[in-house]
Amino acid sequence: MMSTSAGVIALDGGELSLSEGLLALVRPALTRLDEGGVLAILSRNRDVDHDLPSWCRAERHEYLGAEDIGNGEHRHLIGRGRFIVQGGDKPAMELRGPMPERADPGSGFAPRGVLVEAGGPVYPFDLVDRAHVAPPEVASLYDQAVSSQWDATRDVPWTKVGTHAPEIDAAIRQIMTFLAENELSALYLPSKFISRIHPAYVEVAMFLATQLQDEARHIDVFLKRAQLAAGIAVSSVTTSRSLLSLLELQDFSEAAFLLSVLGEGTFLDLLSFIGRYAPDEATAELVRRARNDESRHVHFGLAHIRHALSQDASLYPRLEAAVRRRSATLAGVGSVPAPVQDSLTILAAGGTDSRSVARGHDAFRELLETMHSSRIKRLLNAGFDAGQAETISSLHTANFM
Amino acid sequence: MTQSILLGAVAYDPKVVTIWEGIRDYFQEQGVPFDFALFSNYERQVEELLAGHIDIAWNTPLAHVRVKQRTNGSSLSLGMRDSDRDFHAKVIVRRDSGIEKLADLHGKRLAVGSRDSTQARILPLHFLKQEGIDLDQVKITSFDSDLGKHGDTGNSELDVLQALRDGKADAGTIGDLIWVNEQAAGHIDASSIGVLYTTPGFDHCMFDALPSLTDAKREGFQRALFSMKWENPSHRRLLELEGLREWKPPREEGYESLRQALAAAEVSVR
Repeated sequence: MMSTSAGVIALDGGELSLSEGLLALVRPALTRLDEGGVLAILSRNRDVDHDLPSWCRAERHEYLGAEDIGNGEHRHLIGRGRFIVQGGDKPAMELRGPMPERADPGSGFAPRGVLVEAGGPVYPFDLVDRAHVAPPEVASLYDQAVSSQWDATRDVPWTKVGTHAPEIDAAIRQIMTFLAENELSALYLPSKFISRIHPAYVEVAMFLATQLQDEARHIDVFLKRAQLAAGIAVSSVTTSRSLLSLLELQDFSEAAFLLSVLGEGTFLDLLSFIGRYAPDEATAELVRRARNDESRHVHFGLAHIRHALSQDASLYPRLEAAVRRRSATLAGVGSVPAPVQDSLTILAAGGTDSRSVARGHDAFRELLETMHSSRIKRLLNAGFDAGQAETISSLHTANFM
Repeated sequence: MTQSILLGAVAYDPKVVTIWEGIRDYFQEQGVPFDFALFSNYERQVEELLAGHIDIAWNTPLAHVRVKQRTNGSSLSLGMRDSDRDFHAKVIVRRDSGIEKLADLHGKRLAVGSRDSTQARILPLHFLKQEGIDLDQVKITSFDSDLGKHGDTGNSELDVLQALRDGKADAGTIGDLIWVNEQAAGHIDASSIGVLYTTPGFDHCMFDALPSLTDAKREGFQRALFSMKWENPSHRRLLELEGLREWKPPREEGYESLRQALAAAEVSVR
């Protein structure tokens, strides 16, 4: 570049013809001009005298003429036409800058901050407003998620599983398969929304991708642990119906609320319970690690709901209605699946003698109370009032997730 | 003829169906009843227009000039592409042919496009003759592909370029758009071929109609046509396929050189 000023740019094309790369200098220079701005091209190539006017016609720029400036050099002038991406004197845009309040489906997969050529196709993204998609914390939650990844084989002390009494083995096998079944729903449900999120909010899709990776790892370790225990594992209709009612959710905020705030929130207490009564170091460690991941998912769900509620008060009744609808479809399955309840009781008891079982049963009842009071705390934290929180928590599925 | 506009176009490529299906749907959205009929060649299309079987013909410059002549100048011109204005033809030469000025073409091999292609044969030869070239002293090789399509496919122009690359011709005539597009795409080796001469400008395609076209049809057609916008994604798709950014009003002065060329019958045109 020889010089630039408002609306005028000059460049030295040297000996280059259009077939030899001259356009790689001309096209970017035109993009930097406003419509009607003038580009001066110095050239010592005589083919350019013929080809530049034709190229301008093809690209709808205005060829303004040439003059001989001596030493075999011609100066060509081009007026920039209106059919190229508008660059002009706009300041350089910030890539990954602030997220827009509303995203334009015509910008497709263009990263945030890129200059988008007009007239492109409209993409089918329907999660296009920030209030209902992207809480302010999402980028830092993504960073946390990336730095907290762990290895299901290497990071769990599998050699320390040891041997256990048959009733403990059976309880572990049932609990671990129940956990895996529930985590499958937590793998499938968020994946439904990723392709609907506008790329202007890509951090949300990226966070959900880490959530999917977390769930995949949990499914892996829970099934690994289940395989190391003997006994029968059952999948209950209660669980199956509860998880289907999650999978069928179509609204992103409702899904974040029911899955992450209420479901995964309740799982935090469940995993603490399993960890407390874990019969071996490997089980305690894998449950602890899974719980760390889940607490990040709960954090994201809470951030999403808090942010959405602060922008849209109509969401309070909508979320409560979603909880009621789900509760209605699950009517008649009012208690924890029996095989799960029995396994948790035996695990906490540590054996089958009656005094231990009574202690295990108390621990299980205490778990249900803890889950209820933690849910209420989270709901208050999300912005619900005490009455709403009590109602919503009481209506939550007996399946925990 | 019904209230619906019936437009004729020549099916020189499968994309022609996509273009006119899309424009038909767009016209319907604009409240302009519209349908189209495809012909295999412009000669037939011109006859069907003159017979009143179609309302409007999307015509090449050669077909446009013939319609004007056959209607004694009374035909209506309705619109054209921005790319139809100020067309030029080029004489491209092999660098090793020793041709440095037009007069050097005498005794050399000149590849030209189809005999009904305005930009690849009719006008470049017309202008060369005006520049004082004796065409009888030039060894002309014709690539008469796709006759009846009036050069729409561009195949004969690509054949001319290939003949130059292969050393089967010393020089060749093609349209400016194909030449710069081939250059921009990186298909041209500048060390072996380059441009010798650019003709004066001329205009290309035109929507033609008979003077009997009703005002309602003419107004509806032009209103919908000129409302198409490059920035609109569904319009842009059609405009890209048809090779334009925006539709322009008609003008006649750009066909004068072709009229002269045909009148002089300097070149053999079917």
